[in-house]
Amino acid sequence: MRKVTRLALAVGLFAVSFGTWAADKEIVIYMQMGGTQGDASTLARTNGARAAAAANHVKLIEQYSKWDQQTMIDQFKQAMAAKPDGIEIMGHPGETAFAPLVDQAEAQGIIVTSGNNPLPGIEAKYQTKGFGYAGADLYAGGYLTGEAMVKAGLKAGDEALVYDIWHQEGRSRSSQGVYDALAKAGLKVDKLDVSAQVDSETSLAIPILTAYIQAHPNLKAIGTQHGNVTANLPKVLQAAGKKPGDIICGGIDLSPATVSAIEQGWISASFDQVLYLQGYMPVMQIVWTKRYLVPGLHVNTGVGTVTPQNVASIKPLIKEGIR
Amino acid sequence: MSRVLGMLGRLEGLPVAVVLALLYVAFMVFAPTVFTGYRIYMSFFQTVPPMLVLAVGLTFVITAGEIDLSFPAVVALSGFVFTWCFETFGVGWPGFVLAIVAGALVGWVNGFLVARLRVPSIMATLAAQFFWYGVTILAAGGLQIDIGTVVGTPVHTLFVGRLFDVFPLQALWSAGLVVLCWFVLNRHRFGQAIMFIGDNAEVARVMGIPVEATRIRLFALNGALAAFAGLLLTLEINVFYPTQGQGMLLPVMAAVFIGGTSIAGGQGALAGTFFGMYIIGSLEAGVVATGIGGYWVQLVEGLVMAASVILNVVIGDQGVSALSSTARRWAVGRR
Repeated sequence: MRKVTRLALAVGLFAVSFGTWAADKEIVIYMQMGGTQGDASTLARTNGARAAAAANHVKLIEQYSKWDQQTMIDQFKQAMAAKPDGIEIMGHPGETAFAPLVDQAEAQGIIVTSGNNPLPGIEAKYQTKGFGYAGADLYAGGYLTGEAMVKAGLKAGDEALVYDIWHQEGRSRSSQGVYDALAKAGLKVDKLDVSAQVDSETSLAIPILTAYIQAHPNLKAIGTQHGNVTANLPKVLQAAGKKPGDIICGGIDLSPATVSAIEQGWISASFDQVLYLQGYMPVMQIVWTKRYLVPGLHVNTGVGTVTPQNVASIKPLIKEGIR
Repeated sequence: MSRVLGMLGRLEGLPVAVVLALLYVAFMVFAPTVFTGYRIYMSFFQTVPPMLVLAVGLTFVITAGEIDLSFPAVVALSGFVFTWCFETFGVGWPGFVLAIVAGALVGWVNGFLVARLRVPSIMATLAAQFFWYGVTILAAGGLQIDIGTVVGTPVHTLFVGRLFDVFPLQALWSAGLVVLCWFVLNRHRFGQAIMFIGDNAEVARVMGIPVEATRIRLFALNGALAAFAGLLLTLEINVFYPTQGQGMLLPVMAAVFIGGTSIAGGQGALAGTFFGMYIIGSLEAGVVATGIGGYWVQLVEGLVMAASVILNVVIGDQGVSALSSTARRWAVGRR
């Protein structure tokens, strides 16, 4: 009888162990992080994804595209070839480019989800199979930033510039929001395109924006939704001989330099996408779908701006790469 | 008259200087409010020097018939070394020295791979670029580091302070470096050796030039200069970010070639590099200031770059006198 009890106990323990092992079997996820490792618009996303992976027995393969749309597509193909459990894609290349590829991946049983830039058609098609979205509503976020800039002291008739990557539709939705919010408030708004060189090395924006400010002496506002350009705005204003508040600036993300600039009054508002969640949630989405068949969740991570009034409270989290 | 023109044609960098002058005249005409004031030039003196220092080093390397693609990574590495030391010790000088040493070491390794192990420089330095960016990102934990407290320290004041509260000192440092390096390239044994090696390494060896040692020193020098550029950049923007320098590869190479340094090696034009770098560094800002907006900016930039290169080739190779005699023949033919 004692032997039977021991055997039953051993079988029970094995079953429990096997069940736990099966539930915790390593999940492989390829994830597109966006820009370059460590840059202001990518770092917190990476940290969030790593935290979720560490907590859920996930092998995370990070892919960095420098925000190049063709690279994003190529990386998706490479990921698909490796037949992982899940892939997270950036939506920037658009639905036309991604739809046939996502069809192929889904046909192979790979869970696909998206981040940072929505793909509503694909999301609707594959939501039941775990295709979700974790990111800001970029247009709404930009609009919010524009409204915060207006609140900071702009009025109808003032001249404003929105400086961003206008030549990539997928990367200028947020800036279009800034543009529209400023235009709706009656400002005269101009657009200037960020070149590929400036996109890679944003200190090169300093003379360009200095020239623009000098050429437009009545300029009252500069908006951008480029994280690293935002960080360089104080240098631009200093080079143009301006003081904090002379030109109202709105930007995006929370790099240490941007936070300092907000504290010192150079930047009036910066759109906070909560990038950490944009990394954390897609990993969780794939884990939940894989283990518990949870359908795709649409998570809006960006609903606020950081301003001189609220920057002090979140500064410690920014230093840790969490916000 | 044509003798004077011929002499002018042989002046190093003159065609590129003419292009730069014409460019600024055009900007003054089309954007007078911007280019007749001093601020825009101060912003160029603020942002062009790090790239100019990089271009000086690259001019040496290309003159020797080699290439170095690793310098953007050295910019990031040196920025990190300085930032880490500054955060750790609270003073700038140890970090400054260590950053230069780190850059020189990276360059020395590149040189060793190229000279001793015969790895083609394009491959060795491309691999080095990936490797040292990786090392920097790992060491920094992917984090940007704000070093706003560096402002006002001796190292900041000396290298990127403002003369009379206006003029960025990095412009003087980089211009001085160009002059010093011009003498090294054109009047020193090391420079002569580089030119001989670039022209024909085998002949240089027969002439008794220590080809391998010179190549190693050359890459070490380029590494040290790239580190200095990284320091100027980091000190100026008061922040380190692991990807800094990435966008500088193409502008710096463009400046060297616009400046008249031969892509085949054997001939380096540091004066041309100086003016070429200011052309490249001023171009986009100038075009934006003229009011040419939207997607035209890059097209106009491309045209100006192409015009600079063509003018340099036409004037630089054949000489101003040849150009003037061509013009004279054309005028006579028209009559």
